[in-house]
Amino acid sequence: METSAPPAAVTPHTTSVVVWDVPSATVAGERFRIKVGIKCSNECDLANTDFGIYDEEGAQVATGTLPDERWPGTTGLYVAEIELDAPAGEGLYTWSIKGHAEGFTSFGVRVVNAPECLITVEAVDRITQTPISGARVVMHPYKAVTDERGVAEVRVAKGAYKLFVSQTRYLTFALPVDVTTDMTARAELDVEPVLERN
Amino acid sequence: MAKKRDDKDRKRQGEKAVSRRDFVKTGATAGVGAAVLSTSGTALAQVSPVEAIKWHYEADIVVIGGGCTGLPAAIRARDLGASVIVVDQNFDLGGKMLHSGGWVSLGGGDPLQQRDIKGEGDREGFVTAPRQHSVEELTEDPDFLFRDHTDWSVMDTAAQAPYRYNERDLHRAYADNCYATREFLMANYVRFTRIQGTHGNGGMSRARRATTFLMEGPATDIKKGTITKQDAGIAGKSSSHFAPRLMTDGAKIASPGARINGAALSRGLEFSAREKGIRFLLNRHMDEIIREQQFSGRVVGIRASYSPRFDPQTGARLESLWQNGNVDDRTETIFIRARKAIVIGAGGHGANPQFRSMFYPAWREPAFVSSGWALLGPRGQDASGIIAGMRIGANLAGMQQNLAYDSTFHFPGALATRDSYTDMLPGHPTFPFRGSTGILLGSDSFQHLIVVNQVGKRFFNELFVTRRQGGAAFPAGPEKGQPKRGLQHVQLDWRNASVENIRATYTEPNSIHAALAMNEGSKAPDYLSGPVWAIFDRAAVERDKWNIDAPFTSPTNGFFFSADTIEELAAKIHKGHEFQRVPLTSLVETVRKWNAYVDKGSDPEFGRGSDAPMYRIEKPPFYAASLYPVWHDSYGGLRINGRTQVIDMQGEAIPGLYAGGESSGGGQQHGLGRALVHGYIAGTNAAGEPTT
Repeated sequence: METSAPPAAVTPHTTSVVVWDVPSATVAGERFRIKVGIKCSNECDLANTDFGIYDEEGAQVATGTLPDERWPGTTGLYVAEIELDAPAGEGLYTWSIKGHAEGFTSFGVRVVNAPECLITVEAVDRITQTPISGARVVMHPYKAVTDERGVAEVRVAKGAYKLFVSQTRYLTFALPVDVTTDMTARAELDVEPVLERN
Repeated sequence: MAKKRDDKDRKRQGEKAVSRRDFVKTGATAGVGAAVLSTSGTALAQVSPVEAIKWHYEADIVVIGGGCTGLPAAIRARDLGASVIVVDQNFDLGGKMLHSGGWVSLGGGDPLQQRDIKGEGDREGFVTAPRQHSVEELTEDPDFLFRDHTDWSVMDTAAQAPYRYNERDLHRAYADNCYATREFLMANYVRFTRIQGTHGNGGMSRARRATTFLMEGPATDIKKGTITKQDAGIAGKSSSHFAPRLMTDGAKIASPGARINGAALSRGLEFSAREKGIRFLLNRHMDEIIREQQFSGRVVGIRASYSPRFDPQTGARLESLWQNGNVDDRTETIFIRARKAIVIGAGGHGANPQFRSMFYPAWREPAFVSSGWALLGPRGQDASGIIAGMRIGANLAGMQQNLAYDSTFHFPGALATRDSYTDMLPGHPTFPFRGSTGILLGSDSFQHLIVVNQVGKRFFNELFVTRRQGGAAFPAGPEKGQPKRGLQHVQLDWRNASVENIRATYTEPNSIHAALAMNEGSKAPDYLSGPVWAIFDRAAVERDKWNIDAPFTSPTNGFFFSADTIEELAAKIHKGHEFQRVPLTSLVETVRKWNAYVDKGSDPEFGRGSDAPMYRIEKPPFYAASLYPVWHDSYGGLRINGRTQVIDMQGEAIPGLYAGGESSGGGQQHGLGRALVHGYIAGTNAAGEPTT
């Protein structure tokens, strides 16, 4: 009977790459910052490891270096912040990041022309007519948050949008808008009804 | 690694099902030579022949279940002079009523409607809030209520007809007994708020619903109507043994200092029952109802087994809040004789996957539980009352009505808990079974996450996953499926059911069915859908201000996970959740695809982006929280008549056997009202049975 040695333990190094804080809209040609996190499934020491950022054509647009320390509260995630140059023309670009042990991810870079119009949004509770601060104002891809007066200002390019205003415990306010010049909008939000539990 | 629920578990679940083989085998093992009879294609043998039984206890009335059918039945029968034993499978009384909102819809001109019409307060002077409805909205009689509950014309927003299938005789009796039941409850330490609206499927035409309260005070004293802040619960921190769920502020419908929910109802009735000398065999599961002959003669008693529950951390047996009247018998199996009658108030079938899958095969999935799973324990809502009735020839009714009410089964919207309907906080003895309260989100908050099935794929527009309208009820109107609102609603009007009206009011999202659907991880023979997961990131938590700390989540109960990457998150779910039978192979790609949709501003798969903004899932740590559906109401059960007698296959009453609430079928009113009225009627008639 033939005997054989136990198989050698093989542990693949699977690398995950995460990217966040990518601006939802970047003006053509301007600089923007993102955060890049890289983690090896074997929790390799990735301190001072380089990674590359590539455009849609595969051309490298930047190189980053991971820091000495792991991201606080994680078991092996190294996070770097990096500044990039937006492409010169408007559009949605898919860029990619490559790092340790074939780690890879892609992310979208939305490039817009310089906004021409100022949209001022006031968010209030429909019943009490009190301002709603901290409400999120979204006119994709543009975003803002209301201040303590319930007011947010969003600079957008001319065009058709859906204006969303949302806040915790309120129903989202939605309004189609065709922006041709500066505008103001008043968003009266209804409290989200709570269904009984009986 | 958590233990996985595999085929063996599925088979064990299957053992609860009624089968000829099991009964024959049980009878042979016991050596009692059980006769196997055949009726309507079902072969069932009575396990315990009457002549062989040595009774351990006896009483005039044996009530199975100490909930919102059993307690009023017991008290009513006791008031009429009967001796009463109540058995309950749990360690404490109250059943689902204890963790309910306490709302009770009655009507037909009941004493509470009359109190509000007159603008009066309660006898104790607690209720000072103004009435919530006009005199017209509160004025009716039993005939009007009966018409409301049997109105063929009402169609809800899911194009279902909630009233037309209700048993006529049963609902005539209901309408005729609402007055007496409300009066009875108020005479047994139940204190009602002002009337406010009506329950789903409680009628379209009048306001009939009030909840129950106790006043904050220096001591919890049922006689005085007071409760301490601690017993009523501290918001965001603690529940109590008295009240498994936080009793909320009732200032607007009672008075400042009023704390409302079902604990005020349940504990009031329990206190009264104990005070009146009713005896309780808790930790005692009814396994069989014994009849003179299996399909003929009177019912004579029950067989019940010891069903204690033990604290998972200390190992100590759980004990009821109050003990007076308890009979602490730990014998494994006992027989209890009923000299007059048996009342089945054992609850519904929402926690029995084999039973509930009669209505919907997808609900054979054992991961999903009935509301109150932690409170009621593994044998709560197990259909045992219905199955015991079936064994001795009972007919069934209303079996299709489970599918015509949107909270029968639904997504309540609480993340990170298996018991997603109830929001129990630490402090109740059963909290350790759930481990987490859950993160309760409104449907609008689902804009901050995606929801995936057991292989990690999205299946619906997340904004619609938990969205539901509630049952068709006063004040009617288009949002309840009706062309007219409030007092303008017209009973029995064909226009209510017109195609034009249904087209105009239909809003059923059908998302629950997508969640229960087969997917790549479903396997023969049951093709279980598996768990459902909400996936989100740190940015979502910060943006919508969710509290993801304990007790709202637990790091150890397998219903909430966090990880630095999506890949790790998928692995943790597979390893740590007991019903995650397959790896979430699609999760990484699903998140990548979702983020690409966010960048584009639209979701070609499920239409997100048109109702609310979209957000990337990108910022670590990443989170997975269970999003479990729940089977809440049970419609469909034993057929009963207006006297709440259980009816057999020949249309005859089974002598001495009564049932009500979720153990019965043929009525589709949501909430506690129907069960309380059934209990009142059953107690009245059971006490009048001849003594044997």
